[in-house]
Amino acid sequence: MEYKDETTSISGSWNLGQWHWKHETAVLMQHFLASLKDKKVLGLKCPECGLVYCPPKPYCSCLSIPEEWVEISDEGVVTTFTFSGSWSYGGMEEGAGTPRIIVGVMLDGSNTEMLSQLEDADRDHVDVGMRVKVKWADEPQGTIEDVMHSLPA
Amino acid sequence: MRDVAVVGVGLSKHVSKRRDVNIPELVWEGVSAAYEDAGITPRDLDGIITGNMPAFEGVNLPELWGAGHWGAYNKPVLRITTGGTTGGSVGHGAFYAVASGLMDTVIAIAFEKQSDGDSTAGLNTVAVADMAPFLSYGIDPAFMLAFGGGAVGVAVYQASSYMKRSGCTPHHLDKVSVLCRTNAAKNPAAHLKQPGLTPEEVARTALMQYPLRFGHVCPASDGACAMILTTAEKAKKLTDKPAFIRSVASCSEEGALVGIAAAGTANTDPCAQEGCKVAAANAYRKAGIKEPRQEIDLAEPYAPFAHQLLMFYERLLLCDEGEAPSILDSGSMELDGALPVCPSGGVISTNAIGASALERIAEAALQIMGKAGEHQVEKDVHKAVAHGWGGAVNLNVVAVLADTPTPRG
Ligand SMILES: [Zn+2]
Repeated sequence: MEYKDETTSISGSWNLGQWHWKHETAVLMQHFLASLKDKKVLGLKCPECGLVYCPPKPYCSCLSIPEEWVEISDEGVVTTFTFSGSWSYGGMEEGAGTPRIIVGVMLDGSNTEMLSQLEDADRDHVDVGMRVKVKWADEPQGTIEDVMHSLPA
Repeated sequence: MRDVAVVGVGLSKHVSKRRDVNIPELVWEGVSAAYEDAGITPRDLDGIITGNMPAFEGVNLPELWGAGHWGAYNKPVLRITTGGTTGGSVGHGAFYAVASGLMDTVIAIAFEKQSDGDSTAGLNTVAVADMAPFLSYGIDPAFMLAFGGGAVGVAVYQASSYMKRSGCTPHHLDKVSVLCRTNAAKNPAAHLKQPGLTPEEVARTALMQYPLRFGHVCPASDGACAMILTTAEKAKKLTDKPAFIRSVASCSEEGALVGIAAAGTANTDPCAQEGCKVAAANAYRKAGIKEPRQEIDLAEPYAPFAHQLLMFYERLLLCDEGEAPSILDSGSMELDGALPVCPSGGVISTNAIGASALERIAEAALQIMGKAGEHQVEKDVHKAVAHGWGGAVNLNVVAVLADTPTPRG
């Protein structure tokens, strides 16, 4: 038999846009999101080990049920970060598009992290440990996006 | 529980596009090499354990049209798919089958032919578990993408955090790529072979997303890996020098992806990888290894991104946290070093995703059997650890291999 570098291909496609599914918001999340409208960030505390989950979740890694709502700060600390868009790094001009700084933030009083877009900050000074605060809209909408922009604190 | 021996290993060639073969034919290259290496035929098999990434090639039951091609007529076929850990889970499944006494001789087959499908679409079906909360909070997926989606998106947050906590510098990342790609140059099955690569060359590759450059990231490969596992008694008849899988252990955490996974052990630092430490500790204990730092001769951590080689070296309990960068500097991880790491070239050189975690176990076995060829490490390998990372970035799988079975009693 003659072996070839390339054989005939038959192409096809799946339209993933036609693939529908649902995911429920759940009651805890609804309460968390509603409180954002009042510029309040809530966490759910585990009675057993004391960990505070923000956003909330209905079970703890210690196998207990977190059930106490606690208000946590809208200020916190950067835990990790990356940049996207164009910028200068290692002596080279890199990337393209609008520069963005994205940070992981652990809000004071919470034990979990959220991603946030950091604005009005100098990239060269962004680092793990930096203090930041939530940049609230004048009228928060009660969606997670309300807490996904931050400013240096 | 019975002792489990590896008696055959087979790898296909790995390249970015195999347009000359279809999936069953590509996989057959690895499978037939494993049969030949073990000196058995498909008639000697009791079952087939196989896996690849879900939906990556546009089909979700590839084992059913592939299995006949691989020798499974009238035999049990079981598919396991757990994201990036798939190959490791396939290896674990094969181990369980033999160790439990339910089957004597099995073949573990893992593969990916990424060029046949759309890996991004496939990854999205894996990522839905983490995306679903975002979407249900009413976030536009475009907003989410701005945060860096996909596997690289996960890796950059992990890399930033690891570098800060360990003192790993961009130069260390460059050196990891050199270690792996120059090892790959000696491995006929590897994909990205770069003999003579220098850290300076890696540092000049374009930035993918801070802090990772293209030179720090795995390629997308087509390839397959197969391993034949059997009982200690049957292994004796087939080879003088089998490798024994002493133990396997895995650990699933809640979503370890930084961000709003509505999950997490409250330990959401993506470089913490507590699950890897738990799995490694369990695997060493079951393997009768008390001092992994002294006893392990070789490590194959799953590292598609440069920082992960160092991070997982630490999380596999082979040194203190934050020590791996200086161990890399010492030369100990090289082929002639005290504890060689990724002699195969690792995932950063070759990533046929579904196969990658099985290839870590395969490399450990080859090194113990002394059959690695040009990339055989200088020291004698008595004990080795093989690792996989994946799932919804929350699963770690570990296997410990040795040249002797687990001491009992
Ligand atoms: Zn708890």
